[in-house]
Amino acid sequence: MRTVDWQAILWFARNMRKILILISAFALLASPVLARDTGRIFVSNEKSHDIHVFDAEYNLIKKIATSRRPRDMKLNAARTLLFVACGDDDIIDIIDVETLEVVDGIPTGPSPEVFEFSLDERYMYVSNEEDSMMEIIDLESRITIHNVPTGAEPEGLALAPEGDVIYVTSEVADMVHVVDAAAGVVTDNIIVGTRPRRFVITPDTNELWVSAELSSEIYVIDRASNEVTSVLEFLPPGFRPEDVTPVGMTLTRDGSVGLISLGRANHVAVIDAHSKEILAYVLVGRRAWSVALSRDEKTAVVANGLSDDITLIDMETYRPIRSIPVGRVPHTVVIDD
Amino acid sequence: MRSLIFLFFTFFALPLYAQDIHLGLLRLQNDPRFDEDFTYARIELRAQGDVLAAIEMAINDMKVITDARGLSVVLSEAKVAADGLIQAAQNMLALGVTHLIMDLPGDEVDTMATSLAGSNVVLLNTTAPEDWLRSKCHPNLLHTAAGDRMIADALVQHAMFHKWRDLLVLRGKTDRDNLRADSFVQAAERFRLRIVDDREFDLSTNPALREQNNISLITGGRRDYDAVYIADEIGEFARYVPYQVARPRPVIGATGLVAAEWHWALERYGAPQVNSRFERLSTGNRRMSWQDWSAWMATRAVLTAFTKSPDPAMEAVNAYLRSDRLRLDGSKGKQMNFRPWSGQLRMPILLATHNAIIEIAPLEGFLHQINSLDTLGYDEKEFICDE
Repeated sequence: MRTVDWQAILWFARNMRKILILISAFALLASPVLARDTGRIFVSNEKSHDIHVFDAEYNLIKKIATSRRPRDMKLNAARTLLFVACGDDDIIDIIDVETLEVVDGIPTGPSPEVFEFSLDERYMYVSNEEDSMMEIIDLESRITIHNVPTGAEPEGLALAPEGDVIYVTSEVADMVHVVDAAAGVVTDNIIVGTRPRRFVITPDTNELWVSAELSSEIYVIDRASNEVTSVLEFLPPGFRPEDVTPVGMTLTRDGSVGLISLGRANHVAVIDAHSKEILAYVLVGRRAWSVALSRDEKTAVVANGLSDDITLIDMETYRPIRSIPVGRVPHTVVIDD
Repeated sequence: MRSLIFLFFTFFALPLYAQDIHLGLLRLQNDPRFDEDFTYARIELRAQGDVLAAIEMAINDMKVITDARGLSVVLSEAKVAADGLIQAAQNMLALGVTHLIMDLPGDEVDTMATSLAGSNVVLLNTTAPEDWLRSKCHPNLLHTAAGDRMIADALVQHAMFHKWRDLLVLRGKTDRDNLRADSFVQAAERFRLRIVDDREFDLSTNPALREQNNISLITGGRRDYDAVYIADEIGEFARYVPYQVARPRPVIGATGLVAAEWHWALERYGAPQVNSRFERLSTGNRRMSWQDWSAWMATRAVLTAFTKSPDPAMEAVNAYLRSDRLRLDGSKGKQMNFRPWSGQLRMPILLATHNAIIEIAPLEGFLHQINSLDTLGYDEKEFICDE
């Protein structure tokens, strides 16, 4: 008996690798619907024309080649498809989140940068940087049903939670256009700071925040009146006001904490979203841009455009955990969890 | 305040509507700086083309915001001979022009600023880089062209960064070449770079002048150097120097690595969009030159002041234009405004080869106690107005 035991142990030891591979292969086969809540992190890279996909433990699992210059990304509501605006090929690539392959594409106007879906996912709203238009695309027929003229270089785009209004920034005209989603016309214009970039709408739906990259400010707009109610400024230690170039923003689901990337000041500002008080400055990589929160809100991920990496931030201590290299000029981070 | 403005308008009965912005553009007919005769064999040595396209682009870019403010922009433009400039400017003033953009050589800019000193017009110099023009401290003049010293400081920062400590200077015989070379030498000396020699080149093939016109000889000699700097406004000599230098050393200044306000190869900060808009709008779909960028900026600065000044009165708009509340975006990644001491637009300077941006000055590590852009050009403490 003793000898048999020994042989069995030796056999297991010798074939440990194979056994483990077999077990994991079975596990994979047994759970074909891995896509949802995978905790996968997608990072679009403008200059290497690909998306880096990391698993929940931050291991690189795939580089998906896309059309040229992938920028903004959004998951559909079912979290089965990832849409990617590819600025140099005038297309929005569609990636199957399960197979991690590009499966389809929606042609757009010149240089799509940021986009949103309508609440029923029938329409897509796209800012076209090159021809100063926000286009409304019918997703079924793939026909552009409206071209809304905007100021030069439209970028940031946000859909009101009610679905009736779209906000678009014009980087050159320093303003926010308020667009009636159904009629496709600009109904109001709000003048903000220099080079307005991105939006975030507070969960209580009362406030619209706009980052003004080159005047180093966040404009807080009252959504009922479309008036600017306050202007936030930031200054991490050791930096000049003009180094602060805020772009990306995100809020916790309860609307209590806001994260704002400060661009060339290489920090992310953490603020109390109600009192607008600054809670912390977190040192990240160079030219911090897009910032995303994991669903458990324990970790934030920041894309650093000039150091070609992402930085993970621990949301309990507001400290950086580590940075992970990605492709050239990372633009947007999407977390599927 | 409101009643004051009301009084102002009723008493003076200005011949323009309160909601009009009236811009003017003056260029020189047969401007020697754009003389095509220099471009031997149809090789374009310098930017050709009219900055009008850039000004129209800026008006177009800003139309959404001027419309939202209820302002309409009117542009009067003229291209006249040197002796007709002042008359042309006065005609524009009579039409109601309040901000006059000038694409003129330094001497003409100086004359205009002096002779229009009695009016309320604000003048914007877009293409004259001379620092003596800034030192005149004309109160009615702003500059969106970089001064010679700003260009020189950008190159010197690059030389410092790469430890090019010994430099050979080659300069042309024109006034412009001497101003450029002198400002480079000053900038280099401030950082204790060594000018191993300062030589004047000659464009002829005269054998008696071979020390000046033979590239091997003019770059030769016993003393070694790390780089060759050339001041050559026309560029006719400079374009033959790289690859013929007596020692294998980089060439900067007029060719090789060139410092300028703008270059079509800039890929960041929204510059590709600016370039492609310009190429679409300009006749011949030409590339945007630094002159175009400066004219675009001048227009944007004025229109931004009109749209962002909290008080619409002209004095308040002009005060805003000169204040640090003006935060201009010129698609070079930094906010810009005018230096109060010289009326010079502070800006990043691009260091470019023929098709790549190598660096954007101020380079990393070149710091300033207030604004790092003030490491380029004459800072407040070293700037002196002429008496």
